[in-house]
Amino acid sequence: MAELTYLEAISDGLRTEMRRDESVFCLGEDVGAFGGAFKVTDGFAAEFGTERVLDTPLAENAIVGAATGAAIEGMKPVCEMQFADFIACGFDQLVNVAAKLHYRQGQSVPLVVRLPSGGGFSGGPFHSQNPEAWFLQAPGLKVVAPATAADAKGLLAGAIRDPNPVCFLEHKGLYRRVRGEVPDGEYTVPIGEARVAREGGELTVIAYGSSVPLALAAAEALDEDIEVLDLRTLCPLDTEAILASARKTGKVLIAHEATRACGVGAEVAALIGAEAFEALDAPIRRLTAADVPIPFSPPLEAEVLPQLDDMKEACRELLAY
Amino acid sequence: MSSSPTEVKEPARTVEITMPQMGISVAEGTIVEWRVRRGDLVEADQTVCDVSTDKVDVEIPAPASGTLARIAVEPGETVEVGTVLAELAIGDGEAPSEDDRSRVYSPIVRRMAADNDIDLEQVEGHGIGGRVRKADLVAFLEEHEGARPERPLHTESPYRPEPEPTAVAAAASDLLGPTQREPMSAMRKQIAAHMVESRRTAAHCTTVVEVDFGRVAARRDELRPRMADRGVNLTYLAFVACEVVAALQRHPILNGSIEGEEIVHHSDVNLGIAVALEDGLIVPVIRRAQQLSLEGMAAAIGDLATRAREKLLTPDDVAGGTFTITNPGQFGAVLATPIINSPQVAILDLEAVVKRPVVVERDGEDAIAVRPMSYLCMSWDHRALDGAEAARFLGELREGLEQGRFES
Repeated sequence: MAELTYLEAISDGLRTEMRRDESVFCLGEDVGAFGGAFKVTDGFAAEFGTERVLDTPLAENAIVGAATGAAIEGMKPVCEMQFADFIACGFDQLVNVAAKLHYRQGQSVPLVVRLPSGGGFSGGPFHSQNPEAWFLQAPGLKVVAPATAADAKGLLAGAIRDPNPVCFLEHKGLYRRVRGEVPDGEYTVPIGEARVAREGGELTVIAYGSSVPLALAAAEALDEDIEVLDLRTLCPLDTEAILASARKTGKVLIAHEATRACGVGAEVAALIGAEAFEALDAPIRRLTAADVPIPFSPPLEAEVLPQLDDMKEACRELLAY
Repeated sequence: MSSSPTEVKEPARTVEITMPQMGISVAEGTIVEWRVRRGDLVEADQTVCDVSTDKVDVEIPAPASGTLARIAVEPGETVEVGTVLAELAIGDGEAPSEDDRSRVYSPIVRRMAADNDIDLEQVEGHGIGGRVRKADLVAFLEEHEGARPERPLHTESPYRPEPEPTAVAAAASDLLGPTQREPMSAMRKQIAAHMVESRRTAAHCTTVVEVDFGRVAARRDELRPRMADRGVNLTYLAFVACEVVAALQRHPILNGSIEGEEIVHHSDVNLGIAVALEDGLIVPVIRRAQQLSLEGMAAAIGDLATRAREKLLTPDDVAGGTFTITNPGQFGAVLATPIINSPQVAILDLEAVVKRPVVVERDGEDAIAVRPMSYLCMSWDHRALDGAEAARFLGELREGLEQGRFES
């Protein structure tokens, strides 16, 4: 067991899987010689050679398309989008080709797309988005979004071993700010299982990614009986864990950094409203980014993205309800 | 001794909301909908409920600010003017800072109360607005453990009568495809009842004349700009209304009504003008229309139509009509057989004015000319008059419109 940052845990997970299975390889812009924009694949080219750590042109559609072809041929590609925002250029290959091959032809596509997402660093509208909801409307894709170092490693390994295309959302704000104990060697976290990050009885905060540490910090600061459920996988949702926690506390706040409309929060709220209505003691509330592009200006960005004070206030309001 | 400052508090009292007198012609009203619920904070003049009379719908304002303590008349009930509809609690000594939600329960609280036989009125709430939260109910249950009321000795018989056999759906409904149902609005129900009753009692006949509107059109173009400057929209309808009023005074039977076996003659011409609304039809009345000039008539029509569409008519605005004009021609129809607005004896239908080729006589020669033409269709009650009288009336009306000087 070693203490790693979230970023190191992703590297560790990828390296471990590449050592374990020769069919695993990674590709993307500057992943080889440069070691990746955020240094996730630093040293990979030296260890695995440039045939397994492929520098590609600036062409996301080609990256995802080539990876899809390799996956069909039995390889296990791990694509890196330099920023999650850029997946828009590779969307057709991902959503229309990779996601639908199994449905159309029974063809498994064991493909992983790593998506460095999220804001909070004045990256502006093209480098700060949380595009997970885009993928949730493309049946055939799985979507994971770890919040801890251990989950980052375990879910990446789980995604690589999964026979379906998996979108792996790694929040840039957590890269160096989150660190934790990570099991050594091979380690996987099952896709589709949420995790109770903090036990409580009066209010459930359902979160994922960067909103999990925010929710935990708010719960500690308020010193209230708050449960924090870390979704970890956004598709397929762990409906059992969501409903169990909602039924236990009767009050639910769903928090994510992604924009509000038609987001994960809306889906989770609809699920709870439909299946756990009689257990509710308060309206289901959401804490999300505003439905606007992410501004460059630091004070404006702080206004748009949920902050600790917003989380505390949202919790207080529901606790008092 | 308490050191807290003495506050001057208004003593608690109750103010009644009653069914108001909505005009001299209205004796009762039906609650359509309550806009507020028990426990809601209500401000003075805020609309608390909608009342439907046999004439129009009226919004009832709160007579004072306070909390709605009781609703005495439920939607659908019809009560007389003066009946208490609800009670407002005024000045309970506390600043009404937030909505009282002490009697609004969440699903889990309702279910737990039902499971544990708890009367929720006894549970003190500590949530927003005094809401009884799940936590409050859990605390209450712990406190009162074992103090639950004893089960009654009598147990209800498990016997249940056999359910009535449900009728087998007619095969036709299967062929109908998917359907949706909605209840008729109060206005639709009134229109339906009134129209069916009129059809049932009045002996409807419809007579039609064709009118050349050339002269009216010319005069209208001439007068229109000046009237527009004074805020009046001069329409064909205003000309027709003026000529109708004049003709009615020469044919008083058409300005009458039938009551039982009597014919009632009216001294005044109270002219009803049918106005189409989004969800129905209303007929506001121009009282003593015989006293109005062409401009006065145009202004009165404009005012009633505007107020009708903005739902600002009072019940008296729609009462006491003696003759009705309906004007759906603006939508392009050319002929109709309207239903009489009973107990009146006739209704005149003005249809679209459209250019048609007609034979005209000029200098003793017949020629075909393009003229702005329209049909005036009048449905009349054969119980009160006969066809010759109706035709004479319409003939004079046509002559008035084709030859008139139309003083403004």
